[in-house]
Amino acid sequence: MKMSGAMWAEKYRPQSLEEMVNQSEIVSRLKRFVEERNLPHLLFVGPAGVGKTTAILALARDLYGPTYRNFILELNASDERGIDTIREKVKLFARTAPISGEVPFKILIMDEADSLTAPAQHALRRIMEIYTKTCRFCLIGNYSESIIEPIQSRCSIFRFNPLGEEDMRRWLRSIASKEGVKLLEEGLLAICEASKGDMRKAINLLQAAAAVRGGVVDDTAIYSVLGKTSPRRVREMINLGLKGEFIEAREVLRSLLVDEGMAAEDILRMVYSEIIRMNIPEEWKIRLSDAVGEVDYRLTQGSRPEIQLSALLAKLALAGKEMAR
Amino acid sequence: MRGEDRPWAELFRPKTLKEIVDNERALSQFIDWLKSWDKGLPEKRAAFLYGPPGVGKTSAVEAAARALGYDLLELNASDFRTAKRIEALIGRSHGYETTVLGRRRMILFDELEGISDREDSGGIQAILSIIKEAKSPIVLIATSIHEVWEQKFRPLRDASLIIEFRSIPFTQVVERLRDVARRMGVTVEEEALERIAEASQGDLRSAINDLEALARGRPHISASDTSILVDRDRASSTQQALNRIFSAGSLAEAKEALASAYLPYEELIDCIYENMPYFFDDPRDLSEGLEALSRADIYEGRTKRLQEYRLLKYVLDWASGGVALSRRNSKGSGLIMAIWSGLERLGFPRGTFSVIEAPDGIHVRPNRYLGDDWGRVNSSIRELGGSWMRGEGFWLVPYFRQPQIIWRYGRTKMGREHQRRVAESVAEKYHISKRRALSEVIPFLKVIFKEAPERSEEIMKWLGLSEDEAEWLKS
Repeated sequence: MKMSGAMWAEKYRPQSLEEMVNQSEIVSRLKRFVEERNLPHLLFVGPAGVGKTTAILALARDLYGPTYRNFILELNASDERGIDTIREKVKLFARTAPISGEVPFKILIMDEADSLTAPAQHALRRIMEIYTKTCRFCLIGNYSESIIEPIQSRCSIFRFNPLGEEDMRRWLRSIASKEGVKLLEEGLLAICEASKGDMRKAINLLQAAAAVRGGVVDDTAIYSVLGKTSPRRVREMINLGLKGEFIEAREVLRSLLVDEGMAAEDILRMVYSEIIRMNIPEEWKIRLSDAVGEVDYRLTQGSRPEIQLSALLAKLALAGKEMAR
Repeated sequence: MRGEDRPWAELFRPKTLKEIVDNERALSQFIDWLKSWDKGLPEKRAAFLYGPPGVGKTSAVEAAARALGYDLLELNASDFRTAKRIEALIGRSHGYETTVLGRRRMILFDELEGISDREDSGGIQAILSIIKEAKSPIVLIATSIHEVWEQKFRPLRDASLIIEFRSIPFTQVVERLRDVARRMGVTVEEEALERIAEASQGDLRSAINDLEALARGRPHISASDTSILVDRDRASSTQQALNRIFSAGSLAEAKEALASAYLPYEELIDCIYENMPYFFDDPRDLSEGLEALSRADIYEGRTKRLQEYRLLKYVLDWASGGVALSRRNSKGSGLIMAIWSGLERLGFPRGTFSVIEAPDGIHVRPNRYLGDDWGRVNSSIRELGGSWMRGEGFWLVPYFRQPQIIWRYGRTKMGREHQRRVAESVAEKYHISKRRALSEVIPFLKVIFKEAPERSEEIMKWLGLSEDEAEWLKS
């Protein structure tokens, strides 16, 4: 394994399809593409940190060899400014066939493709058609539902599942032993619980905990790291809101927006998943989900995300008071 | 430079474009428009500059005229009360591109807000006809904000390129004040600079005026010297306006209160947002009040996206009446409650402090010597906008707080730049988007950088981060 990078999540990213520890069905189908030296357009869907990007990078390396970087272009839809700049980049990249090698096409990887609006996706579909001879597209996203039908029907769809706990444990143990970290059973359990099959998060958590505790990772080390990361702070914010401590909740919100630089949409996503899992009466979950949904929509309409999120915190305060009755 | 007897604000008035503080966007819009005159008559022959006072609107026009080689004819409100007077002043020369000396000409109508409907017979019409026939640039400046959107200015707005100037960010006011103080040979405590900047609410001219007033007869200005600034007209007019909005009983009353504030409506919304939770202590009122503000924000978004300023009235309705009418049960004791709960969180029993509502704000007076605890209390109260009154022996927490959104974002401008660059490096190395980098990876990096600096060196190199960026991760 090539040692690349100081962050373990990158350093231990599988370099070849052979090294992937999970998604074995998907991996074996992808291996066949490599053997045949041909592939269709691909659509990878699944939650974060389950190997979607890893799989396509590994496939590219297996297909093109060590110079694979010359044959791929990675774009991230959420970082690009609109479909026009995407079109320009694709055009430059895809109008020529690979100069050397036995594979007659390049691969364009479009991550977070589901963040594109429907009209932008239609434009993307056109682009895919125009350059199909010299370029294969691999679109990556969280949900296939948010990819338009015409694109879905032109792609082979691969659904990636959260990693199983056994795979997680094996991989984390092997990293820990290579890095000389003493990973205790309760630490491992805490990582698995917190990361829910998201390998990137699991490895980041392991590395941060190891750094904090000088190489011994138990559950308290994990919790202390988690306490400093955004989902916990989001939970803290919700709880302050429900308790009616609006001003304090707003301070946490501001620190997430300003100090952590989080996007309002991401905070809202975490608020939503917190509320769904919280220990509150079921009918309140529906009501609050409605409130979150409304804010989610208003974020696209308004101009001050902080005010929209604060309005939600005030609703939480009201809900908390009514629930207590 | 001591011995100069011109007012400092005049002395340090920007002479060149480079000296103008902030408002880069407005400035470049203006310059682009002026340059477009080189290629023939542009679509809009007038530029309408508006914004709060003391942010450099007139200076920008003067500097631009100098830089691009225009002769500037400046007219003030008193000069254009009537059509006749305007014509007498500029004659028919506005039809010609150049002056007798062969220089290009620019006409500036400053202090446009000084025109009022009744007495100014034909003033606006006359300006309008000048714009229509203009063969050289016409510039209009209006200082107040709400008036700019009044019906009477509408024909002028429609005929002009609208350029907005904004308040000068806090950090830049501080920086400029520091520079002025240094050049005038006055030493000023950092906290005093910040107080002056805060009181100015982004009006650089008034900030420099205040600095000069404070420096009179003193070689050194300390934080306590600045207490007189609290009584500034503007701050109190904003406070009064907010007070009236929060207690208005009708839409008309609330709207009038909103219009009386000496602030751009955007900043006013920030002020309302900032202070509402301290005023609306009843959860239902607060929830409805923020709902109203959320509606205002949505209309603001629509107004800006569609560039349809007729939608602005709905923004103002929701921000004033919508907010005012949400208040039913609140007693306005949110601030005092926040102070108490902050003190309780620090573990002090109630008897430790006397908390009194005074006309200038809430006084928090310790009943015993706090010793080492002073620092903890101080930072808790500072979060609520209060400050320690040296010599008085209490903290003063003003009833109204400056909008934190602006100051916080202003203060962390560099921070955000570092944040952006760290996010870019992480995004590239991890094959993820910047947004994801910020929410999923950087929090862990921060833990490592903060808790285990000895391990962060290697990561810093791998990500190609500068010292400053690494510092940001540690902060």
